[in-house]
Amino acid sequence: VGERVAVIGAGMTRFVRRAQETGKELSAIAARSALENAGITLDDVDAVCLTSAPDAFDGVHRKGDYLADGAGAFGKPYMRTYVGGGSGVFTAIQGWYTVASGMADVVLCVAEEKMSSCQPHPQGAFLTIFDNVIERPLGPNLLWIFALEMRRYMHAYGLSKRDIAAVAVKNKRNAADHPAALLGQADITIEDVLASEVLADPVQRLDVSPISDGAVAVVMVSEEAAKRLTDRPVWVQGVGWNLDTAYWTNRDLVYPEYVERAARMAYDMAGVTEPRKQIHVAEPYDPFDYKELHHLEGLQLFDKGKAPEAAAAGVTARDGDLPVCPSGGLLGVGNPIAAAGLMKIAELFWQLRGEAGARQVPGTPERGVAQAWGDLMQVGTVVVMGGEGGPAVTATREGTPPVGPVATSLDDTAFRAAAGAVEERLDLQYAWDPGEAMGAFLEGMRDGRVLATVCEQCGRTLVPPRKFCERCFRPTDTWTDVEAVGTVQTFSICHMRWDMVRLDPPELPAVIRLDGASEGGFLHKLGEVDPAAVTIDMAVEAVWKPLEDRAGSILDIAYFRPRDPALRNGAGA
Amino acid sequence: MTTVKKIPGELPVSFRYTPGVGNTAFFEALRDRGILLGSRCEACGVTYLPARVFCERCLAELEAAVECGPAGTLESWTVGRVGIDGEPLDEPAALGLVRFDGADTVLVHRLLGDADWSIGMRVEAVLRPDRSASILDLEGVRPA
Repeated sequence: VGERVAVIGAGMTRFVRRAQETGKELSAIAARSALENAGITLDDVDAVCLTSAPDAFDGVHRKGDYLADGAGAFGKPYMRTYVGGGSGVFTAIQGWYTVASGMADVVLCVAEEKMSSCQPHPQGAFLTIFDNVIERPLGPNLLWIFALEMRRYMHAYGLSKRDIAAVAVKNKRNAADHPAALLGQADITIEDVLASEVLADPVQRLDVSPISDGAVAVVMVSEEAAKRLTDRPVWVQGVGWNLDTAYWTNRDLVYPEYVERAARMAYDMAGVTEPRKQIHVAEPYDPFDYKELHHLEGLQLFDKGKAPEAAAAGVTARDGDLPVCPSGGLLGVGNPIAAAGLMKIAELFWQLRGEAGARQVPGTPERGVAQAWGDLMQVGTVVVMGGEGGPAVTATREGTPPVGPVATSLDDTAFRAAAGAVEERLDLQYAWDPGEAMGAFLEGMRDGRVLATVCEQCGRTLVPPRKFCERCFRPTDTWTDVEAVGTVQTFSICHMRWDMVRLDPPELPAVIRLDGASEGGFLHKLGEVDPAAVTIDMAVEAVWKPLEDRAGSILDIAYFRPRDPALRNGAGA
Repeated sequence: MTTVKKIPGELPVSFRYTPGVGNTAFFEALRDRGILLGSRCEACGVTYLPARVFCERCLAELEAAVECGPAGTLESWTVGRVGIDGEPLDEPAALGLVRFDGADTVLVHRLLGDADWSIGMRVEAVLRPDRSASILDLEGVRPA
């Protein structure tokens, strides 16, 4: 496919909780250190590719052009791409096609995120990923998605929290050797993770990567430029990206199909037919510990449900048979969203050149894979990279991995007191149109009915209803009623509101599959039940608000309760 | 039957913007010394105001070390008569692009008083006596 493309340099800032630097300044530090690492100057760069995740983190509602000068884009072809959390790995794909197409010989890829700007908590910005009409009214919290998916994964394979926590321990220990890391900790134990605060059961504090500020950059070039500029290119051998359904509750929460599809695309291009033999180092996306396991399975590196036991056996340790996240990953280095993804590309570059210093995996890794995940948790982005082979550079070059001079970390007090700081609210109110199908669904709620549409071509009954079938890409055919009874697919005991204020008592978000619907389920809450009594596959029924209180809203269902009266505790939601 | 036509909502966040390394130097100089501090890239021959820590043309590290102004030249101007809500303003508000002496970049700021503004007009900075490290420590410019 097109021209061969090589990575010839990478650089990054430290990842910190609150940077004094602006996003532009972080970008400039990363860009400059990548150019220095590649041994070139900005004059040599033909085009710049930028990524940054939601605008609402930085509070700059035009992040592409805002960050342009720091990314080195002055007077050059430039574009920002964005696929949520998948963005960091995707920008390397953007860099690849900008070079492979023949449009540019030398491309600078920059990924930046400054989450500390968002007050009171960046989760406020994440609220926008939930459906405004049928999910936002429930008062969701980003942790819900992860807790619900993690529980479903654990349930499917009979995993314990201990199996999952081992990933957090491995990555935070690996990060202790990364000079840019925010949460490296050489002596952390599984007990520390298991003893950390429960946020949204089963998710605990140390299962989660930290809010972070930071930037990363890499230089990607054509084969001709690579010959001119370096004697140790690392080749981009394959790229892939793919989307699952836009209805996250309809997804298979146990297995990331989107990662498998993206990985197969990248492996096909790279000529990788046996990934377990041909991939020597992996940097899967690990914003939560279970996600590393999930993604390793999607990447075809372990059988379904088998990544945890391989991890327990040390296979994924830095000195194991398949080192996974030797960087320390998002859990250890930090998670400035888009920058964290590109950090994985940078890590493969350093590992495949033998320049990863204290983090260097043993032997001579010839090929690695990096992967990220994002949008509404349904995009997979995958890049396969390979070195030239040859002897590993055992003598670590001074200053590698190159970490830019500073990202100056501020504590909360200094952050609040910073001279010239400005705090502003974007004072906007929105009125979202439910649209035709969802409007009818909400009207049905008022009458105590759950309305669905049917696609006669694929035979699916769709809740929530759609005017078109996204698989057959044709209008749906008929309307039908579905009984408001179903089973719990997964649930969480959530102790946190979106702004991380503790909830007492906790609430019980759940994905509920209605008996008459074809697949997946939808998001609601459970009530009249003790949290300890809730089980996956429990039969539940809707409890409707009194007729006079209904407003044509998802909240016209007050909550779902166990169908078995013996399981009810007499309390409400 | 009433049809559900809209669902109200909001983005419940505010943003705290720190001025960064470059602008911190600019704001502290403005507050403490009452001067307009810029930075110069000798390689590119460009002086930036406010100060920046990197040159947008070559990414070189810059120092905030060039004092600009307080006089400058008006590069363009406008008089706003309508607020952001579309309602007429009580008082028209004049805004200008000012190239302070020594700087290659222009700064947008308030034009003070009721002068007969024209492009190329010489203007000078008006500072507030009580300053708090804000762009409003510079009250605006007036005819020199």
